[in-house]
Amino acid sequence: MRMALLLWALLATGNPYEGKPDAVRAGAKLYARHCAQCHGLDAEGHGHAPSLRSSTVQAASAEELFHTVTNGRMSRGMPSWAQLPAERRWQIITYLRSLK
Amino acid sequence: MSCNWLFPLLLLSATALPAAEAPYYVAYSAQMEEPGNLEVAFDQVAGSNFLSSIMELECGVKTWWTTEFYLDGQATGGEGAIFTGWRIENRFRPWMGEHRINPVLYVEFEDINGADKSLKEVVGHDVADDQLVPNAEARRDHQRELETKLILSSNVRGWDISTNLIAEKNLAAEPWEFGYAFGASRPLAFAVTPGPCTFCRENFSVGAEVFGGLGTWRQFGLTGTSHYVGPILAWQLPSGAQLMVSPAFGLNGNSHGLLVRFTVSYEMEQIARLFRRPS
Repeated sequence: MRMALLLWALLATGNPYEGKPDAVRAGAKLYARHCAQCHGLDAEGHGHAPSLRSSTVQAASAEELFHTVTNGRMSRGMPSWAQLPAERRWQIITYLRSLK
Repeated sequence: MSCNWLFPLLLLSATALPAAEAPYYVAYSAQMEEPGNLEVAFDQVAGSNFLSSIMELECGVKTWWTTEFYLDGQATGGEGAIFTGWRIENRFRPWMGEHRINPVLYVEFEDINGADKSLKEVVGHDVADDQLVPNAEARRDHQRELETKLILSSNVRGWDISTNLIAEKNLAAEPWEFGYAFGASRPLAFAVTPGPCTFCRENFSVGAEVFGGLGTWRQFGLTGTSHYVGPILAWQLPSGAQLMVSPAFGLNGNSHGLLVRFTVSYEMEQIARLFRRPS
């Protein structure tokens, strides 16, 4: 129950790093470490990994992106990244939003 | 056959390689290897008069399936170094997505001899005195074993908390042996800094694990078993290599007093692409 409340509080308040330039740079560092191997350093996608600059991804809310990064899409080959602390996942989202 | 030549070779190959993620030495979390990646790790366990060495190759086959191959060896004071066997394991994550508790099913086949001192798990009535048997005698005891684990793992506010329940069967008509491992770990800093850094807190993880035996199917319980507890410190280098060190302290008279464990690992990303035809 406590976890659910924490998750709700986190989601309700949205991305705590929204609009923070340092978070974009930190997110870029995390993106290079964890995401670029599949989505490409330029985030244009590779093979089955979609472009993260696409209109579909960029139109998604920060919360939707956070949910995808947290749970992955394991049936489509994307692993869960829940082992990363929530702060790091939000930093990655902040970087992805800066690609618009 | 003595394999004294093998360990310097393994050591050279492992230190030349950078390494990856390994929050625990004995316990497993639900984290799987990324599909297409290959992690190479070199583990060492130092006891009072022995040094055990393990070479690990871990491959992500699918998001829900990781497979791993091990080569084991050890060197004992005054007895030289020997190759003690190999293992192959598979881990399966049956539920897609993230849950409050994430189960993983683990199945391993091992073909090792009695001189193996890798201590990758402790089961049944494994005790420190087992390892006093001279190598020349212990290596004649050939063991083909099936090991299974139920891994239950949670991510709670940046912490990984993992429980492993172990059941192992020597295929030569011996009873099932049981064991356990618990682990908890977290990065020193949850958020990362914007610039590159080597020694900043975000690159370090700390944790602890507890593991031990639970007897056999016929004699289940703590009597005659050994148990350990140890802190863990892991350091992720910017190059991709990871170093981990962990002293493990014996908790009763059946255990080794102190084991010092050290791992260096490196993850090679998307190595599977090298073997695919260009589209």
